[in-house]
Amino acid sequence: MDTLTLYMQYIVNGLTLGAIYSLIALGYTMVYGILKFINFAHGDILMVGAFVGLLVYTALTGEAADPGVWTIIAFFIAMLISMGFSALLGVLIERVAYKPLRNANRLAPLLSAIGVSFILSNGAAWIFGTQSRRFPYPFANDPIRIGAIAITPHQIVIIAVSVIMMILLTFFVNKTRMGKAMRAASLDQATSMLMGINVNRVISLTFAIGSALAAVGGILASFDFRVYPSMGTMTGLKAFVAAVIGGIGNIQGAMLGGVLLGILEAVGAPLLHIPNSMRDTVAFAVLIIVLLVKPDGILGKNEREKV
Amino acid sequence: MRKAIAFALVAFVCIAGAVAGGASEDVYKIGFIGPLTGDNANYGIRCSNAAKLAISEINAAGGIDGKQLELIAEDSEGTVDKALASYEKLAYTDDVCAIIGPVFTSPALAVAQRCQEDGIVMISPSATHKDVTAQPATNADGLNYVFRTVPSDALQSDVAAHYFYEILGYRNLASLYAMNDYSQGLALGMKDTFESLGGKVVAEETCMVGDKDFRTQLTQIRAANPEAIYIPNYTVEDAQILEQAAQLGITVPFLSSDGFSDPEIYNLAPDFTDGVIYVGPAQAEASTILSDFQVAYGEMYNGDAPDSFATNSYDATYIIAGAIDRADIAEAGVDDQRLAVRDEVAATKDFQGANGTLNFAANGDLVASQGVYHVEGTTPVYVGSFQIVDGHIVQVD
Amino acid sequence: MLNFFQLILIYAGIYALMAIGQNCITGYTGMLSLCHAGFLCIGSYVTAIMCKTFGLSFWLSLPVAAIATGLIGLLIGIPTLRLKGDYLCIATLGLGEIIRNIATNLNPVGYNSIPRASLFGYQFASRNKFAFILLIWFFVLVFYILFQQLAHSRLGRAMIAVREDEVAAQSNGINVTKYKISSFVLGAAVGGIAGCFQTAYTLTVQPASFTFMVSVMVLCTVVLGGMGNAKAVILGAFIIQFISYFPQLTGLTNVIPAQAKQIIYGLLLVVMMLCRPQGILGRDRYRYGDPRTRKEKIHDFFSRPKKSAKGGNV
Repeated sequence: MDTLTLYMQYIVNGLTLGAIYSLIALGYTMVYGILKFINFAHGDILMVGAFVGLLVYTALTGEAADPGVWTIIAFFIAMLISMGFSALLGVLIERVAYKPLRNANRLAPLLSAIGVSFILSNGAAWIFGTQSRRFPYPFANDPIRIGAIAITPHQIVIIAVSVIMMILLTFFVNKTRMGKAMRAASLDQATSMLMGINVNRVISLTFAIGSALAAVGGILASFDFRVYPSMGTMTGLKAFVAAVIGGIGNIQGAMLGGVLLGILEAVGAPLLHIPNSMRDTVAFAVLIIVLLVKPDGILGKNEREKV
Repeated sequence: MRKAIAFALVAFVCIAGAVAGGASEDVYKIGFIGPLTGDNANYGIRCSNAAKLAISEINAAGGIDGKQLELIAEDSEGTVDKALASYEKLAYTDDVCAIIGPVFTSPALAVAQRCQEDGIVMISPSATHKDVTAQPATNADGLNYVFRTVPSDALQSDVAAHYFYEILGYRNLASLYAMNDYSQGLALGMKDTFESLGGKVVAEETCMVGDKDFRTQLTQIRAANPEAIYIPNYTVEDAQILEQAAQLGITVPFLSSDGFSDPEIYNLAPDFTDGVIYVGPAQAEASTILSDFQVAYGEMYNGDAPDSFATNSYDATYIIAGAIDRADIAEAGVDDQRLAVRDEVAATKDFQGANGTLNFAANGDLVASQGVYHVEGTTPVYVGSFQIVDGHIVQVD
Repeated sequence: MLNFFQLILIYAGIYALMAIGQNCITGYTGMLSLCHAGFLCIGSYVTAIMCKTFGLSFWLSLPVAAIATGLIGLLIGIPTLRLKGDYLCIATLGLGEIIRNIATNLNPVGYNSIPRASLFGYQFASRNKFAFILLIWFFVLVFYILFQQLAHSRLGRAMIAVREDEVAAQSNGINVTKYKISSFVLGAAVGGIAGCFQTAYTLTVQPASFTFMVSVMVLCTVVLGGMGNAKAVILGAFIIQFISYFPQLTGLTNVIPAQAKQIIYGLLLVVMMLCRPQGILGRDRYRYGDPRTRKEKIHDFFSRPKKSAKGGNV
């Protein structure tokens, strides 16, 4: 196999991973854009979304259903229910654990988020046990060969669903009234409030959308990652890194960062001829380098500090 | 506020002390240390479940010397400092007479040091690293207190390499292993022996425990074109590797280790396990102990199935129970109990357990042969047990 | 139970050292750093390598670990400290992960059977906890006094000025970068020393123990106790370790589910942040140019309610 094919294969693999990171990164970036804090519990909402999706899907199709039209429909029903549940959970968490802290010092909501993250992941471990569960493929998943490059339908689905979600989100944020309110609130909350925008509703909506996207990300990720209580921790961390690389607070940036990080993880180690177990070192080193060269991320706006 | 907190703390400690002080003395206590929370908790939970099952069987049969056995399971979270805290609690608060565990190598190394120093028998069901039984006996009598019912990875990787080279006839292998003590120990040990036999490991790829995406490694392995791929990892990683390899169009067979004996693999990757060959514990042909254990375990834990480490833990519990039975310690103090139990564990001869006949070497290592399994569909088929004699692999039965 | 209480004191001492370091970075200078696990890792490895591989004394490894960790802090600090707030947090988090990843790749087993520390022929055996408690809490006391002095020194006041308002500090002629880096280096060095003690007690070093969760725990310790208040972070360390081990201390491990203590942690964090975001003891009250005499101070200290009546500003 020649080097070009080899690298083409890495990039195909990396794109799948990157699509998942992008979806999750969107949630981080939206919350950060408005509230300027790292929602550490986001990764755990992803996990809850994956569990709900899996439970609904198995309830609808039974244990070992053969892939067919019904399983695909059931998959989308499960995804919608999971999105709804996660959105509610996200809003609830915001109301209980973050809203009272909006004017507290910067660390308070961060630690509160860490607390929520502990409760969610350990609560799930208590209820569901720590073992990994398989999310069955709702469709036949035989690999497709294009020359020497192999790609599977589930990878295509992951990439396609991510792209559709991102297009919808971009449309929502840029073209609708609520999206406009969201952009306004992220620029200046006080002024938006004076302009008659219900900032509380905007923030709730942001959490709802971010959490719903996390649920989609969680379900798509569970094909490759399996479903288990701590699945959100490292995935969430990577997605957050992706959001920062792309420029946090910037929706296109989150997508770009996610895809870049995914490809980097797949290509980085072989390109540098280091063991693959050091891919995290590569990913985090790139993060630090990006931050040093462009402290606001690749697509971030370089804001001058106001005095 | 301050007063309220202080009051709450004091009240809590008092209540807790009352609870802790209420334990009865008419039992023999056995400790267990393993991960009960965290990502790899399933290994610890299965091992502690198996030990609990053994103890409930013994108690149902009337206990020992008219006393009941009690298992006190402590969580190590798979880390050294928590395992040491668990050890402290078992050794000094609970006054256990022996400890089963720790489950993973690094905590086992730390606890083994303390067990040797304080003189408490420790039998690990799953810590495979060669150094676990190499801790110096630092207690006053210079006696060895560390044992294990799992073969050292040196033995397992030796049998694996010989089996792959001599019986399966492979000359070019690839390996994909996680950077942890267990997987790395096996992969490097296998490589050493395999290459000294004349074979070659053409691709050696690594990952971290908890990685989910192995496509880059598998793509590199695919490019190296090996005859088979050795994956001595934990179940979750192995399941992912098998599935992603199939998706990348890799058709060469996979070889694995006793981590593969966890039946969870058939839930996680049921379509991809066919044809896997793994080296695991040997089985006694004519005994029903193993099948009885598996049935009893399934009944007690809602149809869950034990892995080979849980089986080792079951045997370890019976070895300790047997030692307590043989030693005359009903009235003895804690230190005498521990010493007597050690002497009897060390004197264990031809113990008939779920894993067949067990004997301990002088350093506490298991003297055992290794079993080889071929997976057909989702059923492991036992090929036989093997030993290395004069540098060649010999089938024992 | 008494024995286990002693163990908690030892672990709390190690955490208290880390928290003092983190407090220097986050509490005094206001930088959100999440890589104390990395510093702890470096300190542990220095002791392990010096004592085990080179057979050197434990005491020698203390300054070496402090210098090594400080140097790493310096190397990392110079470029990354230009970053602000959450960006710094994520960069340091990445750094912590890099350190652990490299350590794991060097040798996933780590070190074991590390020789014990000894002093004048007395060996610190892990079972003689009382000696360890004295040893570790002696160092906690030393660093507490040092950092308390630091907070009231020119250096400390400059750091606090940086925390309160960077721009204002700069316009008052404070070299912000210099003080940020000093604070980072000092904090890192104390973290390294905590690592030495952890190794001396556990005699085993395993890369898997230095996860990002350790850094989070140290940060929680500081915020829970009260940022910028050295006494408070020591109290925080004790509380965190107490919760961490209460199921074992009380013999409840077989009664309550294993996840319970983590869930309690989580609840505690959320409730604390909602009710008392400044931590249990809150920020230290610095009295610059306190008009009271020493006698008055002592008197005021023991009759707390009157304290706020007399001078002193926040």
